[in-house]
Amino acid sequence: MVGTPVLFVAIPLLAAFLIPLLGMIWKELVRIVPGLVLIYLMVLSVNLLNHVLVNGPIVEVIAGWAPPFGINLVFSAFSGFLVTLMVFLGLIVWIYSYRFKRNVGFEPAKKYFLLLMMLVTGAVGIVLTGDIFNMFVFIEITGISGYALTAFYTGRDSAEASFKYLMLGSIASTLLLLAIMILYSQLGTLNMAEIATKIHTVKPAYKVISLILFITALGIEAEIFPLNGWAPDAYAEAPGPVGAAFAGIVVKASVYAIIRYIYTIFDISGAYDFLIIIGMVTLIIAEFAAIRQEKLKRMLAYSSIGQMGLVLVAFGFGTKEGVFAALFLMLNHAIIKSLLFLSGSYLVYNSKDKTIAEVNGMHKFLPITSFLFALGAFAIVGLPPFAGFWSKLSVLTAAADSHMLFVMSLILMVSVVELVYYLRVVNRIYFFKKEESVEAKKPTFNALIAMLVLGALILVIGFYPDVITGVIHKASADLMDKTKYINDVLSIKQ
Amino acid sequence: MDSSLFQLLDYGVYGTAILVMLIGLYGALVKKSLLKVVIGLSVMESGLNLLIVALGYLKGGTAPIFSDGFLNGTNKVMVDPVPQALVLTAIVIGFGVTAVALSLVIRLYRHHGTLNIDEIKNLKW
Amino acid sequence: MKKVIVFLLLATLGVYLAITFFNIGFGDPHFVNGVKDFYLKETVENLHVSNTVTSIVVNFRGFDTLGEVTVLFLAVTALGSILYKKRHEVGARSVLFSSSSVVTAGSKLLFPAVILLGVYVFIHGHLSPGGGFQGGVIIATGFLLMLLAYENYSVSHTWLSIVESLAGITFAGVGLLGFMNGGTFLQNFLPTGVLNNLFSGGVIPIIYIAVGFKVAAELTGVIYTVLHEKGVK
Repeated sequence: MVGTPVLFVAIPLLAAFLIPLLGMIWKELVRIVPGLVLIYLMVLSVNLLNHVLVNGPIVEVIAGWAPPFGINLVFSAFSGFLVTLMVFLGLIVWIYSYRFKRNVGFEPAKKYFLLLMMLVTGAVGIVLTGDIFNMFVFIEITGISGYALTAFYTGRDSAEASFKYLMLGSIASTLLLLAIMILYSQLGTLNMAEIATKIHTVKPAYKVISLILFITALGIEAEIFPLNGWAPDAYAEAPGPVGAAFAGIVVKASVYAIIRYIYTIFDISGAYDFLIIIGMVTLIIAEFAAIRQEKLKRMLAYSSIGQMGLVLVAFGFGTKEGVFAALFLMLNHAIIKSLLFLSGSYLVYNSKDKTIAEVNGMHKFLPITSFLFALGAFAIVGLPPFAGFWSKLSVLTAAADSHMLFVMSLILMVSVVELVYYLRVVNRIYFFKKEESVEAKKPTFNALIAMLVLGALILVIGFYPDVITGVIHKASADLMDKTKYINDVLSIKQ
Repeated sequence: MDSSLFQLLDYGVYGTAILVMLIGLYGALVKKSLLKVVIGLSVMESGLNLLIVALGYLKGGTAPIFSDGFLNGTNKVMVDPVPQALVLTAIVIGFGVTAVALSLVIRLYRHHGTLNIDEIKNLKW
Repeated sequence: MKKVIVFLLLATLGVYLAITFFNIGFGDPHFVNGVKDFYLKETVENLHVSNTVTSIVVNFRGFDTLGEVTVLFLAVTALGSILYKKRHEVGARSVLFSSSSVVTAGSKLLFPAVILLGVYVFIHGHLSPGGGFQGGVIIATGFLLMLLAYENYSVSHTWLSIVESLAGITFAGVGLLGFMNGGTFLQNFLPTGVLNNLFSGGVIPIIYIAVGFKVAAELTGVIYTVLHEKGVK
């Protein structure tokens, strides 16, 4: 055995409780320990993923009670793929902000790294758990870390953005609990696999109201229109790396939760069409909102919302190609959007309003950062030969396979809008004269490394998509096979 | 007593819980003072917790504790312990969220010198 | 206008919820073969714990509780991060008032009793209603009483954070010990004793005592941090 899934939660929690004590011994430890934990989790997740791809999913029981009585964790090809992605991004964000947070003093740095580590842990927990109430607990862990990280800078309007996020978040958790309790009152169990086997006995009325409550609650976190009011503000006011973590980690976890409910737990076929509709509406509205933004990070935030809409559309096809496209898109979006946030926050580092106009002519002062931002921009709109091209192509193929030509043409149309606003920024970086008032800030060494790793990954996936498609194929097959999931979990005996 | 009256009382428990929840949500969405918004969210959580506990009730059931009195007694019905355990978790999480919300209110007050939502609108709501 | 829209929205939500829950029914068994029968049976027969809620919270769904404790820990961290000030900006207590000698003397008298009650509640968590969370809250109210009665009563932040960390490490550590003893995370590895005895239930009382300390330290920390927030203007 190479390790077990519970370590993904136990080790970071142990480290989180230890960090205040370690900080009393040597202050630098509060920066180093979260990184060591994330490196360990990275090694663990790669090992487990390799193991799982060959030998089938690992189901871990907690406290010695077999499902459905105890809580269980499922590390399958699908959840393992997402966990690896999240831990990787967490590590990148840690590398990026290691020195970035050097100037803020000991106490805030301690809290920043602790909260960042817990954000990753919460998201990983959401993906791993096989119990609906346990998922709620992890959603709250992610949420509270998210609120605090959004309000990290005292100077900006961050408290306001964070309060908005918190309000929507706590309404979401209320609705989520209601949905969980309606299901519990009908089935007497909270285990996902057991709910999935018994769900056909529930009256349709309860099923529908509980699914609606679930989607509304999770839609707030997953930035589905019209529940995404918090997202642009939170992205714009939070520190740059936190924006990257939101786009790459938190949103992915919420989308995972929606997908798990629709694909595995519930058996309502209309839900797939519903996904396509809300996905399309989110995509179109967000992309048209993005083109009107003046602040760089708000534009990136709307673009992120739009991409999530596209992911939901791809999941909504309900076919194997659709799931493949959606997972590929999630991977690419996580990598590319993180790169855009990380490099973008250096482009507007010293400007007061963080507007797009202030990136004019930055390429002379920040050549590498500007190049990486341009690379990310080209990749996310889907220009060949970058990573985004393949995922957009697979979405379009999946749409064509499902005979949804209308959806396909809408996606193409929206892609043009996307192209316009990203090219506008790149154009300003390269071909405009620099504003005198804005001073460029050189990225620190480790920030550069973090961004270069992401940039290299975009190129590698762009030129050799085969390195990753094998894993994604297995992950999508794993998600589609509901019976296997149920059997794997419920076959565990005490 | 009339059985329909009993039924009315039964509905009353759910009705009250849902009403408390909605009152809280109404306050959170409509009130202008940030503090009242936080109180609204808190009231909403209380209503929800009440609803969850009520969902676990069984007629004639006692608390799910195997005390000597229960073991030697005649009543062998216990209410469902699971919702109670879940509510315990939900209450603690609610406390955590409320504490963070209040600290954000303090930050906003420090920054703007007011609690009125209309005057804090730097970001669009 | 906004009020009307919100009202209509909530009325719709309320009607739907009311119909759903009235149909579910109050006080009737809603389902067959739920997990609760298993919990009620195993609690007495295997774990030898009399309070089923405790056995669910700490053992069957112990992972939730670990998460819950983490949420509290994060809330305290978040509070510190959001209200952070540079050292020279930190002032004295913002809420200042002098209490009469009756209040101060009475509080001093009451304080040990409150602490004792809290300790009693969390030590007996597996036998009677109550447990780590409830006991921890009671202890924190004792500190709140002292903070309100005395203007310059202070609690050491360092000690609070040490207690908090040690208690958290105990919880996660006990979990990992179960894991290393060849079982699973949070699995019981101690003898379970006799039902309704103080020393029964294996690791459950240990974990609940750790939770009690942790909750007490965290809540006191929250109260202390917020009380020392200096008012503006």
